[in-house]
Amino acid sequence: MNEALMISNVLLWIAVLAALLGLFALARQIGVLYERVAPMGALMLDTGPQVGEAAPVFDLPHLVSSRERVSLGLPGDKSTLLFFLSPTCPVCKKLLPILRSANQSERGWLRVVLTSDGEQPEHLAFYDKAGLQDFPYVLSRELGIAYRVAKLPYAVLINEHGRVAAKGLVNSREQLESLFTAKELGVASVQAYLDQPGKA
Amino acid sequence: MDALVIDPVLARACGAALAVILIVGAWQKLRDLAVFEASVELYRLLPEALVPLFARLFPVLEAMAGVALLFDASRSLGLALGLLVLGAATLGVAMNVSRGHTEIDCGCGGAEGHTRLSWALVARNLVLLGLLVAGAQFGSERALVWIDYLSVAGGTLMLLTLYAAANQLIANHPHLAQMRSGS
Repeated sequence: MNEALMISNVLLWIAVLAALLGLFALARQIGVLYERVAPMGALMLDTGPQVGEAAPVFDLPHLVSSRERVSLGLPGDKSTLLFFLSPTCPVCKKLLPILRSANQSERGWLRVVLTSDGEQPEHLAFYDKAGLQDFPYVLSRELGIAYRVAKLPYAVLINEHGRVAAKGLVNSREQLESLFTAKELGVASVQAYLDQPGKA
Repeated sequence: MDALVIDPVLARACGAALAVILIVGAWQKLRDLAVFEASVELYRLLPEALVPLFARLFPVLEAMAGVALLFDASRSLGLALGLLVLGAATLGVAMNVSRGHTEIDCGCGGAEGHTRLSWALVARNLVLLGLLVAGAQFGSERALVWIDYLSVAGGTLMLLTLYAAANQLIANHPHLAQMRSGS
């Protein structure tokens, strides 16, 4: 009798744990599904202007002085790193010092533009507090929609010819630098580089 | 008082699950301290000068609470530290939710760190506080047989998977709400 109870007990534990794992897996899958179909005008991470295509042209007012215009997507003498952020995104905040140093060290060929959307007062407070005076800062919902930005922090590197050179989610210094490397190598991503004939 | 003494199997399962949750939570925060520091700042509850200190102290205390809960000798210290850490976190979330400041990341690990603040998060933490109190009990004196160890292991794993599933569902909810409103 005792043995029978023990066996049934062990079996039940296995069943409970398996069912709970299934529950977790289902919840996780639903979470991924929600992210993919987020109704923010942004559907998938890999849609929007493709690498090599002309970047959409924008002419936007600067956050602080609306007389100062920031134009994006036009051919110029420098490349542009368009960095999508939000005052309420902790990872974006972590990357600000890294952006600041990139803005300094790469200034020979690169201009870093910060962009977000939302209410101006909130962004002005963020701008002052985080000391972002070195960067052009623009607010535009359309810009995020044009590049199908679904998750932050997201960055797009536009080359001097006004074409998208590299883009992607950026969570660390390494990922930011990989955008620069991708541009130098003239490939869309490390994956595309490895897929080239004769490489790897 | 006897009615309040719980079976040692329940106490050990709750204690072990809480210890794992606290230690993993601390590790997630310490691994990316800059992000946790920014999260603390976004709660807008502490003077700015205190934020770096708090962001370093909190995960250390959290890990200590988790480790202390595992051993008989330090269990009461684990209870005290755990109450302090979980209490502070829950209070922070509750204050922000009640003033409508929910569009920030909870900074509490959870599902890939994309959890927004909500009353559900407060409820989750209250359940954790309950488990913490249960897990810090020594439990009634009775001889343990081998199947009790199976129950402790199974119970611990059950609580941990339930916690993971609850975190995921809490993280999913804002997406669902957004879809329902159709914006």
